[in-house]
Amino acid sequence: MGLDTAKLRKRILGEHLPLLLCLLYFAALAPFAEGFATSYNLVNVFSAMLPLLVLATGQTLVMITAGIDLSATAVIAMASVVGAMIISGDVGWLAGNPLAVPIGIVAMLLVGAVVGAINGTLVAWFRMPPFIVTLTSLMFFSGLAIWSTQSKAISALPHSFLILGGNDWVTLAIVATVVGGIHILLTRSLYGRWIFAVGHNPKTALVSGVPVQKVLVGAYIAAGLIAAVAAILITSRMESGSPVHWQRNLLDVIGATVIGGTSLYGGKGKVLWTVYGALFLTLIDNSLNLLNLSHFTIMMVKGLVILAAAMLDVLRNRENG
Amino acid sequence: MTFLRNPLLALTCFLSLLLGGCGGGSSDDRITIGVAFETLQTEYWVAGFDAIKAELEKRDIRILEAIADSDSNRQLQQIKTFVTRRVDGIIMVPKDAKTSIPAIKAANEAGIPIVLFNRIADREGVEFVGVQADNFALAKATVDYMVEKARETGRKHKAMVVLGDMGDHNAIGRRDGFFAAIDGNEDIIEVVARVPSEWNQEKAQAGVVNAFQANPDISFLFTSSDFLFPSIVSALKAADKYHKIGEPGHVILGGFDGDATAWQMMQDGYLSATGVQDVYFEAEASVQAILDLLEGKEVPELIRDPGFVIHQSNMEAMKDRMWGAVISSGN
Repeated sequence: MGLDTAKLRKRILGEHLPLLLCLLYFAALAPFAEGFATSYNLVNVFSAMLPLLVLATGQTLVMITAGIDLSATAVIAMASVVGAMIISGDVGWLAGNPLAVPIGIVAMLLVGAVVGAINGTLVAWFRMPPFIVTLTSLMFFSGLAIWSTQSKAISALPHSFLILGGNDWVTLAIVATVVGGIHILLTRSLYGRWIFAVGHNPKTALVSGVPVQKVLVGAYIAAGLIAAVAAILITSRMESGSPVHWQRNLLDVIGATVIGGTSLYGGKGKVLWTVYGALFLTLIDNSLNLLNLSHFTIMMVKGLVILAAAMLDVLRNRENG
Repeated sequence: MTFLRNPLLALTCFLSLLLGGCGGGSSDDRITIGVAFETLQTEYWVAGFDAIKAELEKRDIRILEAIADSDSNRQLQQIKTFVTRRVDGIIMVPKDAKTSIPAIKAANEAGIPIVLFNRIADREGVEFVGVQADNFALAKATVDYMVEKARETGRKHKAMVVLGDMGDHNAIGRRDGFFAAIDGNEDIIEVVARVPSEWNQEKAQAGVVNAFQANPDISFLFTSSDFLFPSIVSALKAADKYHKIGEPGHVILGGFDGDATAWQMMQDGYLSATGVQDVYFEAEASVQAILDLLEGKEVPELIRDPGFVIHQSNMEAMKDRMWGAVISSGN
């Protein structure tokens, strides 16, 4: 017993609280939600969680800088459409070309990087509020994606592309790489320390020699790239490019991040917490579906859970002065 | 205390302990059918959902329900949840022809019969039974009636068609039915405006307003769905074009679906005709198809709802079969 009880209690009720909630929730619901604890369903839960986890990881990065990225679902829409327009066997610009898939993937990532760079530049150099900047990006790029396809889905994607989101092991490897990479970036690199410093207090960070603007632009570009990775997984899983993929799931992305414990005020957050948050939201969705509750009830429950997490964040911040 | 220092290990152990013991098995041995709708945002889908539930209750079949809120990814998860619950069959309204294919595939892989209600998907490596109105024939018959009324006025009409989402087979069938009816009648009907709505009220309203600004003398309007009428009527009123049949400035109106708004407009003397999808036939056919598939019977890939056209001349006789009129009367 190397760890004393008070420290252990603080640790469990503090940073691992969302995991504890996941476990309690699972234990409480398992006897009632038919099939909840079956291996098939647990695979579904983890499979459904992966794209959300990727997106929430990008959101975590931005939120630690005291920002927010509302454009994540617009990046998915735009990247999904651009990628499908390039690689589709029916209407793709490179249909039949063996390099179509790699070029399509690069183009999708480029879309994410460009949107992220626009967001970051406006936030860092023009000092515009992240909420307004990314809300504008959300509206503009969602509209552009719908306009460019006239709201039509693009199918006939090559098999080599469909594996990325269609095979759980491949998806898991991609997600683990992204999530693990961001975890290492935040915990083991100088850039990670700069991100926290900027989130805590940008003026102090600047005085201490942190290149605040570059750090912010980097965070938004990384979030854009991560959203593009999610777009690759989602487009592949849904076997089609569409301007409305994940259009209505922005609340889940922000919710998973906040439920995990990443502070809306910046300067605090961990990728591991976001894993807990994504798991908790996915468990709620899955279990309430199994309980045969309506979508509207599920939305209400999720809204209340996110509100509770945000309130907890406020209380913690008050306690910390 | 490695166990508590490593939360993922704790989670894995906890799940493993529960995996063996918890199944949440149900003692209900009735047939269970999962009903997954893309949305309940229009009267038609609500009526369809209620009709299916009533049909299942009538046959003492257990129902599991799921609404995807227009999100095909969520619909995929919901179908997988149905598989988890080991339903005997699935009735689904797909989001569109393409993005719902993985959800259908999930049902196929689990060996669960699946029926698509009212809207079908592309048959790209997936198997399903579709129950669908003959959108082309019904739209054509509706517009045929409107053309007949236009011809009776003895003058030429400029026409507008409000289109649906072109990723939806139903919208395409209705558009083609409209143009098939106009074909050969160009002497009295000139189509001057094609308004894309993407099944969105705001887009429909903006499109109709713009079309009236460009062509103020439009006097013939067909909408691919009655649920867009509130937006269209608003635009007509703004352009001072909303007048009863027989009044000066009347625009000949026609629609598709047969909802309560259309019934009210018909009773009030504004709407000439609408193609009615027989929601009760479609609900009954969907449930029967699942039961037949479970018994190993042969079921056609596509079951056609013939529907019917209700118009000013037959409305009293046909109102009991029009779902919008039935809803309005509270039956």
